[in-house]
Parts: sequence; C-alpha cells; structure tokens
Amino acid sequence: MTTSLPIAVDAMGGDRAPSEIVAGARLAKENHGIDVVLVGRSEELTDCGDLEVIEASEVIAMDAEPGSSVRRLKDSSLVRAAEAVRDGRASAMVSAGNTGATMASALLRMGRIKGVSRPAIATLLPAPGTTPTVLLDAGANAECKPEWLAQFGQMGAVFAQDRLNISSPRVGLLSIGEEPGKGSPLVKETYAEMQTVNWGTAEFIGNVEGRDLLTDEVDVVVTDGFTGNVALKTLEGALKNLMLALFSAMGERPEAAEAAAQLGPEFDQIYRFFHPDTYGGAMLLGVKGVCVISHGSSGAQAMENAIKVAAEMVETKVVEHLTEAIAG
Amino acid sequence: MPAETHVEGSPIGRPEILTLVKERLADILEIDVTEVGEGDSFADDLDADSLALIELVEAIEEELSERTVGFRFEDEDLEDLRTVRDAVDYVVSRLG
Repeated sequence: MTTSLPIAVDAMGGDRAPSEIVAGARLAKENHGIDVVLVGRSEELTDCGDLEVIEASEVIAMDAEPGSSVRRLKDSSLVRAAEAVRDGRASAMVSAGNTGATMASALLRMGRIKGVSRPAIATLLPAPGTTPTVLLDAGANAECKPEWLAQFGQMGAVFAQDRLNISSPRVGLLSIGEEPGKGSPLVKETYAEMQTVNWGTAEFIGNVEGRDLLTDEVDVVVTDGFTGNVALKTLEGALKNLMLALFSAMGERPEAAEAAAQLGPEFDQIYRFFHPDTYGGAMLLGVKGVCVISHGSSGAQAMENAIKVAAEMVETKVVEHLTEAIAG
Repeated sequence: MPAETHVEGSPIGRPEILTLVKERLADILEIDVTEVGEGDSFADDLDADSLALIELVEAIEEELSERTVGFRFEDEDLEDLRTVRDAVDYVVSRLG
C-alpha cells in the first residue's frame, strides 16, 4: 500500500506509549509498506528503526482537559501530528492518546469541513456473518441537535461506502423501538429531520434498537455521543465478559477442557473477531484530514491496524467524499 | 490585569474589536455576520461549543498579534467569556 505522504503517528499517546506505538508503526511499514513518521520526543523513541521522527517536546496526558491542553501545549506530539497533516507533511494522523485532545487538535489545526456542524467519531462494531456496523457518534458530542445527528448519518453513510465498500448503506437512528413515535424528544425530532435529508445512494431505514447493532439489519447507526459511547463500552464489556465466562466454563470439566483445546483455533478466531484492536480504531469524521483515534490501551497490533485504516482512508479519498456529500 | 503588549500600528478601538469578534465568530460558525449580536450568549444563542470558543480566541490572537505584540487570552479567563460582549470587553481591557 502506498500513499504519497507518510502517516503521522502520535508516538507519545496511549497507555502503552511509546514502545507499543513504535512497534505498531514498524509493523505497518514492514507488513504493509506504509510510510510512517513518528511524532514525539526523539530521545524516548529508541527503537524506531528507519522511521523518521518529527520532534515534539511535550505530551498531553490521557486525563488532561482537551481544549486548554491543545492550546497550552503547542509542542505536544498530538498537536504536531495534526499540524503535520495541515502543513502537507503527512497524509493522516493516528493517535491512541487522549480522545478529546485528539479531536481538539484535529479540529483546531486541520479545521472543519465546510458545512459540518460538529465532527463525530465513527467506530466499527463487529457483526457476525456480514460487514461491521458503523456507529456514530461514539463520544465526541455528548449533547446533540437533530440536524447534527442527521448530518452524522450522512457522514456515516460516506464512511460506510469508503471503509466497508457498501454501495447503498442503510442508515438507522438508535431508539427504543422501531416505530417513529418511539424515543426521546431528540430522537423523534431527529427522525423527522432525517426524513428530509437527500441520502443519495444511501437509505434512511428509520429507528433501530440496541439489539440490531451487531446484525445485518443496518449498516450505519446514528446516535448522540453520550448514548453512543455508553453503547460501545457496554458492548465491549459484555463481549469481553462473555468470552471470559466461556473460557471459564470450558475449564470446569476435563471433557469440556479437551473439547476446548480442540476448538482452540475457532475460539481464537471468535476472540479476534470481537476484539476492538482488530478494527483499527475509530475515525473522526468532519475535519479536513484523516484522523484515526485508537484505543488508549492499544498495543502494537492495534496500532498496526489503525495505521493501515488511516492509509486506506487516504487512498479512498474519504475526506473529499465527505466534503462533497456535505456540500450537497 | 493589563496585558504585556506593545502596539505596533494605530490603536484599535472598541467598534473595530466588536467587528473583528463578530466576523471571526461568523466564519467559525458558518453563519452570516448579521446573525451575531453583541449581547448573544456563545452557548445559548449561537450554539458555539467550547472548541468553537477556542477557535475564536486563537483567531483573534492571530489577528491582533500582527498589531499588538504579545496579545493573548489567559486560559483561566476563558470560562468567564460567555457572551460576545464579554469577549469584546476582555480584548478592550487587555489592550488598554
């Protein structure tokens, strides 16, 4: 895979930075031929091989207040990574650091696509037997207006087309019932708003419920950032604990343990299928550049996947397609 | 607290600062400048979130730094800026 410019990777962001981040960047280069530039304190990036480094002396902490830290820490790895994209030194940015600060850096340095009310975080949910489901907003905007949510739907449809190659994505609004009259006042107003949108080749299919998230019933699920983040974390926790319960049960009887040993590859496949690291992070939609936000706990494999996703999103020209869709 | 500033060009008056704030805010929010009133609340009347306010602050700093060396909003003061008038009064006081 080749992109004309390197992917800027925030080497200092994340619980396991910089060692796992650097390892992931090297894997992306070695396994996929993706050109990567690391951004961070060069003296701490000791094992970066032949990867280039953009010097940044400061680090935004995982728990720092996003807006003020981006404003105050102008030489931070996050801010410098966003500036690298803005200044044409990189084609995309990837960070496993502070999510809010990543969003603020991207917004303040790259800028917002004209016409976008609020950028939103789009994440992929695994759906057995079919393509993943796009969920947005996964946490950027706790409080939303109906027109913002409708626009999230438009951006999510473009993302589904470019990221998942779904030509006519089905867009649903997360609610507590399929009927249009179900849900909070915000959901009801958003339903009406979404009926007025020109969806192009996409289709608004009405309300969907939480149980539809991991199924083939819908391709893009729209909700506010508070609900989306709760849904995402609930699913991650539930799936993780389901796997733990399964492994625990398999060890209770010798016969079950023997069967589990035989099914090891299948269990491993299922574990990987549901693991967030497999999907390479979420993408911030609505800014003038590709910005991939990886899990704070990302290890090398998660970063490798996130960098691969960033390169793919540059190649598919998702930002240009979002710009066209919003301009109408 | 006065800013440690040095005016390079001609002094800038309150009406010019009001115009500057309104224009930058309209650019950021993608609305017509006539929709921005001096008494408008950033959050309640203009739907400006905290990041939009930071965009505004950085745009004003960039604009004024060309004329007034060292002009800057203090981070701890930002939460007190709730209306367009607050922002204009703040800039006026810092330049004064």
